[in-house]
Amino acid sequence: MGGFGAGVAHADELLVGVEVPLTGTLARVGSGMQEGIMVAADVFNKANTKHKIKLITIDDESAPAKAIAAVEKLASQGALAITGGYGSNNIAPAADAASNLGLVYVTSGGVDDSLVNSGRKTFFRINNTAGYQKALLGLLSDMNAKSVSIIYSTKEAPAGLAKDLQASLKAKGVVVVAHPFDPAITDFKPIINKVKLQDKSEIVTMVGYENDYVGILRAARVLKPNVKAMIGVWSLATPKMAADFPDLMPNVYGTAVLPFPATFKTADGKAFDAAYRAIYKKEPDYLGQFGYVQSMLLFEAMARAADKGTLKKNGIAEEMRKTDRETLIGQVKFGSNGDNQNFSQHMGQHQGGKVVIVWPQEATTGKINFPGVPW
Amino acid sequence: MTELILQALYSGLLQGGSYALIALGLALVFGSMNVINLAHGELVLLSAYIAYTVESKLGWNPVFSIPVALVVVCLASVIVYSVVGRIKKNREINSLILTYGIGVILTNAILLIWKADVRSTGSSWLQEAFVVGPFYSMRSEVLFFAVSIVMIVGLWWWLSRSWYGRAVRAVSSNRDAAKLMGIDPRYTELVSFVVAGILATFAGVALFSYGVISPEVGNTLTVKAFIITVLAGIGSIPGVLIAAVLLGIAEALTVTLASSALQELSSMALFLLVLFIMPNGLFGAKGRRG
Repeated sequence: MGGFGAGVAHADELLVGVEVPLTGTLARVGSGMQEGIMVAADVFNKANTKHKIKLITIDDESAPAKAIAAVEKLASQGALAITGGYGSNNIAPAADAASNLGLVYVTSGGVDDSLVNSGRKTFFRINNTAGYQKALLGLLSDMNAKSVSIIYSTKEAPAGLAKDLQASLKAKGVVVVAHPFDPAITDFKPIINKVKLQDKSEIVTMVGYENDYVGILRAARVLKPNVKAMIGVWSLATPKMAADFPDLMPNVYGTAVLPFPATFKTADGKAFDAAYRAIYKKEPDYLGQFGYVQSMLLFEAMARAADKGTLKKNGIAEEMRKTDRETLIGQVKFGSNGDNQNFSQHMGQHQGGKVVIVWPQEATTGKINFPGVPW
Repeated sequence: MTELILQALYSGLLQGGSYALIALGLALVFGSMNVINLAHGELVLLSAYIAYTVESKLGWNPVFSIPVALVVVCLASVIVYSVVGRIKKNREINSLILTYGIGVILTNAILLIWKADVRSTGSSWLQEAFVVGPFYSMRSEVLFFAVSIVMIVGLWWWLSRSWYGRAVRAVSSNRDAAKLMGIDPRYTELVSFVVAGILATFAGVALFSYGVISPEVGNTLTVKAFIITVLAGIGSIPGVLIAAVLLGIAEALTVTLASSALQELSSMALFLLVLFIMPNGLFGAKGRRG
């Protein structure tokens, strides 16, 4: 599948491979990330006369084996580095393939910490579980939560985050009851009934994906447990959820790098916003934002390496390690393992069809509604 | 604890009803033609997406999408049959491979048309809580549980009382003998597929009304329908309801009494246990398919 076109790079053209899921179970998030990658290339190319980014995109079909094949094919087509990847179980083998080929692989699509703790020298990630956990703990602390029920998917990333969150909350003396659920589950009423009649927790924290949140919120709307807040993680406090499920979202909390409607104060943010709206004719979302940041950092590193003549001498990885700059998701600086040391999420709340940032204090765009439940 | 278990039994019962509605079409085709239609879940999903389109574009209750969905899904079902009906040898195995491929094509067509976003009804009428004593459910769950019962009774009546229904059973029992009785096997099989399409239509609208849909769930639906069909015993239509309800209750009780992480495991354990004790399923007669 072609992105902006495929072929062998010219002297001033930097060929970048995009490996993302555009079909399969991760198609929705993969497509969102791809939008950000495309916008990054557009913004970069308009701002740079010396170097031009050319993208070749391959759909990994949400499958690990296809992800490996995609990376290898992109390398054979002359890609100098890879951006993309979604789902830790897809990213890990794809990153290994990139590492074996000496290619930089940058992503925001996997939060499993084994990705950065397995000794890959050319792997970079701009977000991590710790950043999400920090935001959740911060909000729960502000709410003075005494008891929390955590409902989480047994998929790798949510399960990892839920277990870390559970341990951190217990260490703070919070009573925690965990409810892991199989990703194939469709009826959440038995779980919510347990929360209502057994746990009797003050707050429900959901760690899963969009379909899970909708199922849990619906079950909660039917059974009406006596809780003060329904809090989720990624993919929840988004314009898409506000637009698609207006009846379920009011007062629900979730991690959110952006308020909605999106507002950008920096020049970089405004450039992203304008290009995104021009290309996709819609409001930018967090997936596009992450895709944009990871790719822009890569493009800049490639341009610097090209200027130094080290493009094919591990120069891109070296330049990535030197990254230390403010981006749309905050300051990015990679540690020796390739993980962004500074990542910290914000918490948003659906209010009146908008998403208001309610944590941390310095980033708030409105007042928190607490207690706040969607019924 | 009693309140928890009662609610689990009620949720399981309703969930079982929805499973039965999804499984009926697959059970009919499997029982009457020896064809395992692995694209059945995608047909259900197609109907669900038509319900979504009608609701989002016209603002109508998804229930009103049924006439449109009937036409589209039955047409798709006929197309599936036009391909599957050409299989001459090893129908069970070859239909598996062929319909799997059709399912992949349908999934990608759905993805292309409706994108990968998760969808669910916005109708507050369908989502509203329906409370009877200590039992809580969504109004749509109760509505489609009733639809499921009506469909099962209707299908049973059709197979046992109507001429075409008897013809379907005759062809499934002995294709050559049915031919000698003046029954056109191909036409009869086509009728089976159309009826399966009708069942898939109702199942899809139901799914959209109380669940969450996205392009990849078709496969999960097929697997669930297949488990129920085998658990019920090939050819037993009332058995589908009982097997589906058993499965729904087993899942709900597992969540309530053990862990929600074990839900799928419990349904598979029930499936294997029943097949170990009763290889023909709960209601499958030995040699039913002659």
